Amino acid sequence: MSHRLLQIFSLWLFAGLSCSSQADNAQQLIRQAIDNYRGITSYSEATMTIHRPDWQRVIAMKAWTEGLDKSLVRITAPKKDKDSGSLLLDDNMWSYAPKINRVIKIPSSMSGQSWMGSDFSNNDIARADDIIDNYTHTLLETKNHNGHKLFIIQSVPHEDAPVVWGKEVLQIRDDHVLLEHAFYDQDGILIKKLTTSEIKTISGKTIATTQRMQKADKENEWTEFHSSVIKFNIIIPKNTFTLSNLRNPR
Amino acid sequence: MNSFLLIFSLAWRNLWRNKRRTLVILLAIVLGVWAMIVTAAFMRGMIFQMLEDTVDNLAGHVQIHHSQYLDDPVINNSFDPDSHTISRITHDPRVLMWSDRIRLPAVVLSERETTGITMLGVNPARESKISFIGKSVVEGRFLNSSSDTGIVIGQALADKLETRLGKRIVLMSQDINNEIADRGFRIVGIYDAPLDPTEKAFVFVGKETAAKMVGLKGAISEIVLRLHDTDMVTPLVTEMDQLDHTIDVMSWLEVEPYLELMIQMMDTSMFIWYLIVFLAMAFGIINTLLMAVFERTREFGLFQALGQKPRFILFQVWLEAILMIIVGLLAGNFLSWISVMATGDGIDVSVFARGMEMINMSNIIPFVITFNDLMIANITVAVLGMLTGLYPAWRASRLVPADAITRI
Amino acid sequence: MNHVVQCEKVTKIFEQGLIKVNALTDVDLAIEKAEFICLSGPSGSGKSTLLNMIGGLDTPTSGEVYIDGEEIDELNKSELADLRLHKIGFVFQAYNLIPVLSAQENIEMVMQMQGVSKKERNEKSSAILEEVGLQGMEKRIPPELSGGQQQRVAVARAIVSRPSLVLADEPTANLDSVTANKLIDLMLQMNEIHKTTFIISTHDPMIMQRSKKLVKLHDGRIIDIT
Repeated sequence: MSHRLLQIFSLWLFAGLSCSSQADNAQQLIRQAIDNYRGITSYSEATMTIHRPDWQRVIAMKAWTEGLDKSLVRITAPKKDKDSGSLLLDDNMWSYAPKINRVIKIPSSMSGQSWMGSDFSNNDIARADDIIDNYTHTLLETKNHNGHKLFIIQSVPHEDAPVVWGKEVLQIRDDHVLLEHAFYDQDGILIKKLTTSEIKTISGKTIATTQRMQKADKENEWTEFHSSVIKFNIIIPKNTFTLSNLRNPR
Repeated sequence: MNSFLLIFSLAWRNLWRNKRRTLVILLAIVLGVWAMIVTAAFMRGMIFQMLEDTVDNLAGHVQIHHSQYLDDPVINNSFDPDSHTISRITHDPRVLMWSDRIRLPAVVLSERETTGITMLGVNPARESKISFIGKSVVEGRFLNSSSDTGIVIGQALADKLETRLGKRIVLMSQDINNEIADRGFRIVGIYDAPLDPTEKAFVFVGKETAAKMVGLKGAISEIVLRLHDTDMVTPLVTEMDQLDHTIDVMSWLEVEPYLELMIQMMDTSMFIWYLIVFLAMAFGIINTLLMAVFERTREFGLFQALGQKPRFILFQVWLEAILMIIVGLLAGNFLSWISVMATGDGIDVSVFARGMEMINMSNIIPFVITFNDLMIANITVAVLGMLTGLYPAWRASRLVPADAITRI
Repeated sequence: MNHVVQCEKVTKIFEQGLIKVNALTDVDLAIEKAEFICLSGPSGSGKSTLLNMIGGLDTPTSGEVYIDGEEIDELNKSELADLRLHKIGFVFQAYNLIPVLSAQENIEMVMQMQGVSKKERNEKSSAILEEVGLQGMEKRIPPELSGGQQQRVAVARAIVSRPSLVLADEPTANLDSVTANKLIDLMLQMNEIHKTTFIISTHDPMIMQRSKKLVKLHDGRIIDIT
């Protein structure tokens, strides 16, 4: 199980890909990536830039994650959104708005709505994709990228999978960095693409620190994530991933 | 008898004495009657269409739900379709057919759009007989079986989702544990409903497929029934609703209360309309006859001198009015019949389509002439017209013979 | 007392606003069966008013009128209508006929009201039309008949059901002298044949000459009977 939120923040979803040489097919590449990720905690600080033709908005946030099933995001700026946040537990997502002092469970009917006004939908952030079981993964190509091996994997959802895309194409380096994640519709037309533009090594791990989600048909509309601080294997208080913590920011 | 024949022929001939005047007032009566009948037929057709649409539009004549379902249409408010109560209802001889459904709010997602809809998990064989969907699939096919893994959506929804036949879309709802339940479906059919809102609101999937998706084991959300005769709806509902307090049995009128209101409103407004039309007509009748009476004052004096009793004079003038009304009614009914026949299936009001869809109407309104409406229009004109004719007749009979004769 | 008509002190006062006009004052008149009487006098002398009283079309202010011994003042409208229907025939100055009915229908109308069978009506109307010299014109409606022909139809209608009394109010006023003479001939002839009582109001000297009895009126009083 994986949350896209994690892909966005730290992109070590495919951490296990370090063992790629042992993997004999794409499905196994991904399975190893996920297995390798279990049990790791993280803390990060990031900004999200939402760009539109007429305006641009920057949101600053902190995030805590534990494994693949738990994450908490807290907005720190701008002032009007300060302290609002999102909690993800397994498949469920809750939002907290300090102005109305309410925690709302995001219903499935809102899953298509934009998350924080960005180009990510609630669904992109929260939906639990069983990345292994819902897709048929094919290793299309292996390339070289700045001295790293780059795997190009095509993931086609199964007939009954709750995935709307016709196919997804991922470019993953052998050091687990996701360089690109493209979403195609069922006619093979590119809809949106997540690209990595900055890669850094922090705490001994190589990660993508700047990533941009770009809609294919709207050049002037994109959302960019930039992680400034990332720490791994920290100690996270037990009550971090609870509704009461979501409601009462420290 | 002799006197009556005399009075009748006098009335009939006098009616055509001033042809132009009579024709003008006849035209008023004919148009009035026509306006009454055609308006009633149009209104009735509108209501009829709304009822048909409602019944066709998944409502059926009678609906069975869990008692809490209408307040909160969630998965937990479902019921067991095999219970004693339910089988008693579905086996009632008054029931023509029925269909059981899993009916849940859901979200549908395509690559480009996401929208809220109502998911209907149906038994295709039963559903296609009872609701519009049976004859509305315009592209592809309807579901093959309850465990069909395809989905049938409306044309308008397909357009909104920017998807089409053969593509996959994702449905997302809640399962019995309030967790998100989602599943991909391939579009196997596109249907075309009379109304866009219907097309945008409902998607059809196999009942078993839906049950598996949301984790329902045998329970369903709703059963709709179609009866042999709409008159049986109320008795059946009254009887069956008492069987089990956890089950709610409702007539379509309860489900769509505004329809009943509209029917009542129409009856009242039709009557007011009749009166308005009639008032205009009545002034014409009174005016014409009073003028005729005034013109013929001397003649009435002569009749009296010759021994005609006042009440015969009254009858004579009254009969003239009655004949005028009868002729007007016959012609008016005939004209209405022609108009209704000429329009065939109904009037295409698609020019006003946007307005009509707002009140949930189709584009084609059939004319529906009911015996009752016809009777009410005819009786209103006949009875009130005769009463109206009495006044000039009474005036004629009250003339003093000596004065009447001397007046030239 | 076997008079067809008997008037006793018949007075009629018309009120026109505040002005009272004595149309008739204390008129006494008795008429026998089969008489042919002419009421004469200048206009306003009360001829028409007296005829209206006798015909029950109007009621006297005081005094009594008897027709065949029946006091008409005591009859209601319906009984008066019956009296006129069965005992009195009327011929007016003009507009005597119902315009929507043919000559024959006009004649039969009275019998129809009396309840006479169609067959009898046909026979009688054909006979009378022949008597008044209008055979062949049965189907004509009034506008298709001349003034004289119309008055003949009126006379025929007045006598066809053998009333006791025929009242004619200036029947020749709208006719030329030749036609008027012929009409008087007809009425005299009918009086002879059917023994019908005729009361004719007129200021035509020719009619006065030919009548059997002349009653002169002036200012609502009988001034002479010859």
